[in-house]
Amino acid sequence: MSQRTKTDIGRHLSNASRGRIALYGVLGLVAVFYLTPLESGVTTALKSTEAVGETAPFAPPGPNGFSLDAMRTAWNTLAPTLVNSVILAVPATILSATLGSMAAYGLTGVDWKGQVAVVLLFVAAIFIPYQAVLVPLSRFWAIVDIQQYGRFGELGELIITHTAYGIPICTILFRSYYQNLSTEMLEAARLDGASTFSIYRNIVLPLSVPMFAVTLIYQFTQIWNDFLFALILTNTQSAYVVTRGLNALTGGIVQSFNTQMAGALIAAFPTLLVYIFFGDRFAKGVAAEA
Amino acid sequence: MAELTLDSITKVFDDDGEDVVAVDDVSVDIDDGEFLVLVGPSGCGKSTTLRMIAGIETVTEGEMRLDEHAITDREPSDRNVAMVFQSYALYPHMTVAGNMRFGLEESTEMSSDAIQETVEDAAAMLGIEELLERKPEDLSGGQQQRVALGRAIVRDPDVFLMDEPLSNLDASLRAQMRAELQELQTDLGVTTVYVTHDQTEAMTMGDRIAVLNDGQLQQVGTPLECYHEPANRFVAGFIGEPSMNFVETTVEGDRLVADGFEYPLDGATAEAVREGQGVTLGIRPENVELVDAAETDHDIEATVTVVEPMGNENNVHFDLSGESDDLIAVTGGFDPVDHGDDIVVRFPEDAVHLFDSRTGETLRNRRLDVEQPAEPRV
Repeated sequence: MSQRTKTDIGRHLSNASRGRIALYGVLGLVAVFYLTPLESGVTTALKSTEAVGETAPFAPPGPNGFSLDAMRTAWNTLAPTLVNSVILAVPATILSATLGSMAAYGLTGVDWKGQVAVVLLFVAAIFIPYQAVLVPLSRFWAIVDIQQYGRFGELGELIITHTAYGIPICTILFRSYYQNLSTEMLEAARLDGASTFSIYRNIVLPLSVPMFAVTLIYQFTQIWNDFLFALILTNTQSAYVVTRGLNALTGGIVQSFNTQMAGALIAAFPTLLVYIFFGDRFAKGVAAEA
Repeated sequence: MAELTLDSITKVFDDDGEDVVAVDDVSVDIDDGEFLVLVGPSGCGKSTTLRMIAGIETVTEGEMRLDEHAITDREPSDRNVAMVFQSYALYPHMTVAGNMRFGLEESTEMSSDAIQETVEDAAAMLGIEELLERKPEDLSGGQQQRVALGRAIVRDPDVFLMDEPLSNLDASLRAQMRAELQELQTDLGVTTVYVTHDQTEAMTMGDRIAVLNDGQLQQVGTPLECYHEPANRFVAGFIGEPSMNFVETTVEGDRLVADGFEYPLDGATAEAVREGQGVTLGIRPENVELVDAAETDHDIEATVTVVEPMGNENNVHFDLSGESDDLIAVTGGFDPVDHGDDIVVRFPEDAVHLFDSRTGETLRNRRLDVEQPAEPRV
């Protein structure tokens, strides 16, 4: 490298900052573009009904337009549905992740014929769209009538449906993770006298924590945000989950945007919390797969 | 008592429709307390054989017996064998103590106090007592290897199986562990089957060694038997470092004729060969003598190509009269031999091995009554 003179350095710096400015400018515009809907939602939720009609969506509410009424109404409507969503999402998430982990172990750590066919079935199952199974699903639940048990019956239907629907993706995620486990370690466990289940419980399961973080976060988000299954399978209002409750905030002759926005924010809040607290682990777990 | 018998063990793998014979009709009887080394180049089937003994590989044909009980179809957990893997295969989420406890917890009914005591005793034997509460990732390679050994020792098995346990260690640690392993095995008196590709380990550690190549057993014998009386050319070339020199010759009358020289045979040796037979002449580097001038009819002119000074010895690479063969002679470290020198090498007839060129079978081994090799005194 030849000696750089002061003028060279100066030129280099001013070039760099021009490029930098352009880069930051573009990034800023992109950020604004992505954040405007969210910002509009927040501002609208905090406006009174008059202010909604008078101000632009992304403009913050003025001192007159500020009102917490929308939030209060939304909260009162959605509070019971939040409880239902938790009753649905927590067991379904844990069950689908755990069963997926066991299935994946059976497909990797245990030797038996026909594994490839079973794996293909699981992979195919991931790609089945919700919409395709709606009719058979509702007919199934008409036959298996636990709806008669009211709120918990209907929530039970949702839990079972979501668990079943979530197992394939969890299985495939765990399977790729387990394929990277040392085969010799599992062989050593076998020579140590451990049964297949004991190997799973004592060795595979403790080592699966990173992948559990990934599947639990993923499944929680999917199940919490699902609207379609909740729409089809729940009929009694006491069993409504937060997505249906949110839907109930719409409709009517007068569209109250501020209440709807408030409801959307409240509905999205738990998943936001999950990402804030566990997003790091999620990213690490996914990166470890790459 | 733990006598292990391998009776015509064969293993065939199905590789995309093609049958790959990894182990071909191997039979060995291993005595109680014996240290048997399975040695051979990569891919010779020694690891596969070991894994069949462990039960983590199925046997295609043949039978294995432990103290006369057939164990060929038994689950690995029912065989009472313990294995040390090349990669150690420790449980990363458990402490050292946890790793050593696991086998006892899974396969015995011992109380946790008894287990704890056994673990501590084994740790003391291996010098890892301070490491008991650490995790494997915090340990050096040598320490991890001791933990893997400890995990095998606490099980008090009938047979130790070791799959190249020293391969991942650096050279000085390897030499140290070789000695320690030997001592340990002698103290514990457990039948051990040890797999390695390193013929030094085989020579120094085994009570007997079994040489494998391409899935087939070449020879089973004490290290010195395999060294001085190899059953075929492969064993002769594999055992010994630097390896034996080979020269291709043809029998004409009472002499061996090679491209650059002729080698007369005395009466007894000549009886081992036929007229016109292709014979490979083999002689170990340490038996090749460098002489000042050609006197006997076993002296041949040669040119030095490379000299490797080892300190106490020199490995002198030479070519015979125009051929480039890369033959080696071992001479004293103070011999002033240099690249390009013209020398005279002597192949004493007593030290010469003869092998059939086509089959590799030994026709005649060196005479041992001239130099009696000392049997190792334990």
